[in-house]
Amino acid sequence: MKPPPFEYLSVDSVQAATAALAAANGEGKLLAGGQSLMPMLNFRLLRPSVLIDINRIPDLAYLKDEGERIRIGALTRHRMIETSELVARQLPVLSEAMGHVAHLAIRNRGTIGGSLSHADPAAELPMMSMLLDAELELASAKRRRTLSASEFFVAALTTDLAEGEMLVSVSFPKMPPSAGWAFEEVARRSGDFALACVAICLERSGDRVSHVRIGMMGVGDTPMRATETEALLTSGRPLDDHLVAAAVGSIRASVEPNTDLHASADYRRHLVGVLAERAIRRAWSRATEARHG
Amino acid sequence: MTDGKPILAVERGGAADSLAARPKIVGARVKRTEDARLLAGKGTFVDDRRVSGLLHVAFRRSDHSHARIKQIDCDDARGMPGVVAVFTAEDMASVNAIFATSRMKDYHATAITALARDKVRYVGEPVVAVVAETRYLAEDALELINIEFDPLPVVIDPEEAAKPSATLLHEEAGTNVLCAREFRTGDVDQAIACAAVRVSGRFRFRRKSPLAMENRTYLAEYDAGRDELTLYSSTQVPGIIRDALSEALDIPGSRLRVVAPDVGGGFGGKASLYAEEILVAFAARRLGQPVKWTSDRMEDLASTSQGFDQIVDAELALDAEGRALSLQADVIGDVGAYSIYPWTAVIEPVQVVSFLPGPYKIPNYRGRVRGVATSKPPMGPYRGVGRPTSAFVTERLMDMAARKLGMDPVALRLKNMIQPNEFPYRIGSGIVWDQCAFTECLDAACEQADYSALRARQARARAAGHWFGIGIACYAELTGIGSRISVAPGMPINTGTETAKIAIDSTGAITAAFGVASMGQGLETTLAQVVAEHLGGRVEDIRIIQGDSAAVPNATGSYASRSAVLAGGAATLAAREVKEKLVRAASHLLEASADDLAVEDGKVTVVGTDRALTFRQLARAVYLEMGRIPSDKREELTSTRTYDPVFGTSATAAHLAVVEIDPSTFEVKIERFVVAEDCGRLINPMIVDGQVHGGVAQGIGAALYEEVVYNDEGQNLTASLVDYIIPTATEVPSIEVVHIEKDSPTTLGGFRGMGEGGTIGAPAAIANAIADALSPFNIDIFELPVSPERLFRLIENATTDRKESTHGHEA
Repeated sequence: MKPPPFEYLSVDSVQAATAALAAANGEGKLLAGGQSLMPMLNFRLLRPSVLIDINRIPDLAYLKDEGERIRIGALTRHRMIETSELVARQLPVLSEAMGHVAHLAIRNRGTIGGSLSHADPAAELPMMSMLLDAELELASAKRRRTLSASEFFVAALTTDLAEGEMLVSVSFPKMPPSAGWAFEEVARRSGDFALACVAICLERSGDRVSHVRIGMMGVGDTPMRATETEALLTSGRPLDDHLVAAAVGSIRASVEPNTDLHASADYRRHLVGVLAERAIRRAWSRATEARHG
Repeated sequence: MTDGKPILAVERGGAADSLAARPKIVGARVKRTEDARLLAGKGTFVDDRRVSGLLHVAFRRSDHSHARIKQIDCDDARGMPGVVAVFTAEDMASVNAIFATSRMKDYHATAITALARDKVRYVGEPVVAVVAETRYLAEDALELINIEFDPLPVVIDPEEAAKPSATLLHEEAGTNVLCAREFRTGDVDQAIACAAVRVSGRFRFRRKSPLAMENRTYLAEYDAGRDELTLYSSTQVPGIIRDALSEALDIPGSRLRVVAPDVGGGFGGKASLYAEEILVAFAARRLGQPVKWTSDRMEDLASTSQGFDQIVDAELALDAEGRALSLQADVIGDVGAYSIYPWTAVIEPVQVVSFLPGPYKIPNYRGRVRGVATSKPPMGPYRGVGRPTSAFVTERLMDMAARKLGMDPVALRLKNMIQPNEFPYRIGSGIVWDQCAFTECLDAACEQADYSALRARQARARAAGHWFGIGIACYAELTGIGSRISVAPGMPINTGTETAKIAIDSTGAITAAFGVASMGQGLETTLAQVVAEHLGGRVEDIRIIQGDSAAVPNATGSYASRSAVLAGGAATLAAREVKEKLVRAASHLLEASADDLAVEDGKVTVVGTDRALTFRQLARAVYLEMGRIPSDKREELTSTRTYDPVFGTSATAAHLAVVEIDPSTFEVKIERFVVAEDCGRLINPMIVDGQVHGGVAQGIGAALYEEVVYNDEGQNLTASLVDYIIPTATEVPSIEVVHIEKDSPTTLGGFRGMGEGGTIGAPAAIANAIADALSPFNIDIFELPVSPERLFRLIENATTDRKESTHGHEA
């Protein structure tokens, strides 16, 4: 289990990295934490002509408070995000999700840029960026552009990244302090890919849900938002057992899970309902009355 | 530990026996002497060996489950820079095929070769070997090899494969049923006719990988000047491999040595001969250069022998008072593509029927078994060998019967167990249990767990809507088997003896050599304890040599829970003899009667005086100071003794699992796990605890997580650790161990083997606990592992049925 031959290039700037990518004519691969790339190389599933090592680029690993948003550099390790006080304060649902990203050894090396660019449908970060309406900043030799998460993720393991383009940062809007949130996941073992996962951010107004975002994964080809269930929850009805049950039915009806070795479509559909109910109730109990509507 | 000082310390405290003022070394919680190097990363595993000019092997393996090899084109690979040689079966015509023969009737051996000849019979079977300057180049060269296969029908389902019309894997055998056997005692049909209660089921225990942390690795060095070959192998059985290679390569044992250095786990997966071992040894001799192959994890999952995988149709019949009347079982074992050397395809499935009656008095028994070849990797020994399946079936039937009779499962077991005054006892399959602590273990496990309080807690938990279950499993196993038992299956080798060679050298140091091969279980420590005890030496002064075919004339290795019993017995005999020689020498030198001498802590003392000689002083006098002892009284301070327990002994345990199942997600959490075990006299309680913990962890894997899955095309769907799931520290609870130390009456030292037991009891106990938790829904567990998906199906079906039958409509 050794990789096929490749050239290795270490770069020290985003410009050098994107130039090298462009020069490789689509046969270049960026090496960051290597947690998905190295196994794929060793299985010979990937045969890049050149590995462009971006680990030595300065100032690409950071967490920044930009007022309305938190910006995270592409080379930031999962463990930095998991242990960040800024994230815990402003994006508590992300903070909790980070503990579910694989195992500690992987979190010490893996990067947010790598996870988002790899776009594994069963990975937490793509789903969290969908949930939180993240914006992704991409750079190529010629230009920079910003995409929303829903524009960035095209399909399983497929993003809108063009040849010669790299992800340089991702920014998340801060959660309102009054928002309630929850992250619920079932995996075979702690640290495994989720069989099903639901994450929620909601705001309440009296006995009603005023805003809600629901992200889910493990129940389709890509992570997604449960938009119908979101609409149901904010339709003006009070949040009671009836509405929760309706939401559970709605989210189960909205997914088309796959069957694989570890779980059938039916079990995953069952789980997404169980997790949605738990997440709604937990988020509701955490939410406080918003000061301004 | 970090400053290089030995970490060894005999804990001296708690001397319970006032007569023995000095602590016994056997029975002490001595810290493992090998840990100083293993935990500091200073161990030497095969892959750590550095030799100049080393060449690396990569195998092109079959991607077909069953196919004829039409043509192999290796020309491009041979021409690649950095490639030294490319071998196919054709290039190895001079190597003799190895057969795991047996005198058992209805058994068919299959040829074992290094590389597939004519046909491939499982995905992952080695077909071509590339030897290159680096592993990278060797793997690059694999891509240049073209193999033309002519696909044949796959043989995946063992029940289909057993039919006369099935496609044959080995045409020369004339059948896929490589072995068939039946045990019969009494009249089962008659007993069933009289039975008040019958419980039965079709039980399925899925295929498992041994999954040692260290992958299999082989490195061969050839000394052309001396025509000597040494194979460094991550094996449990260096002596068996030496003997097999001697036959395959026509080299006498004096010029062929197999060394198992530090080995990172085996669990049975390293207890058989492997094709890669033959190839590496062959290539080193052919090329005159050292050659190494290190398995990667994918190869390990694809080609290391696998375990379990049986279908058991079984029925237990009892009278109205709960006395077992009869047990019958029909077992199909999926033995994979080849009959493994030396154990044969018989090893797993026949053990299932041999042990099904377990610790119970069941007067009528019929056990039928067929071992069926399929196009999957060979079945081999795996920790517990057959008995995890036996215990699963019998213990499930016991619980099902208890439920039907309205009896407590503990009471039902105690009623049917062989009682302390009934030993020795011959069970229906012919196995004879010596004095076993069946009832004592069950009582102790219940006491440790506070069984009645647990049942009360269960009632409260159920009332509150929790799915809470308690499961028990009792078993017995044959361990430390001697010559009489091992001869019975008629295998190519019988392994009923073990030799110890102890020497005190001219510096006074003690070296003790054995034929066993530790793969992590601490034999360097436990054997040193036994030697120290009987020789009067200090544990830290004793160097244990093991895992080397050259150490003693016959060095089969470590397997079948044998090393403590056999090597411990041999160590006792040899150490006693060396001690006698020391005493005779000291008696002369100290001018004291032998009766007045005490040997302890590495010196011989005249009791009640300060006159003493250290082993070093004695050794100098014997070997280097001629004249101090007359030549006719001078004896070399050595002894080589072989021990044969003849029949061997047995070990037993009761496991108790407490589980809680999430009623929404169906995740199973093991709340508590209690083991009460009897492995006879404990040599080192700390090591026994560790063995139990490790075995239970693997049993948890078998119960809840681990399953090798082949699809209909014979492709392994669980070829990486993403999909082949094993329990991690998070999934293994703290395990409570109670020791019932009943010395074995049949072995020297009273030791009983115990390396495998944890894996035997845990799957059954967990299965029973899950079934107990789900008993309000009338759900029984017939299949392991109990994945959440399987639980979901069972619960969905049960609740749908119930809704339909009670309300006639769906909620």
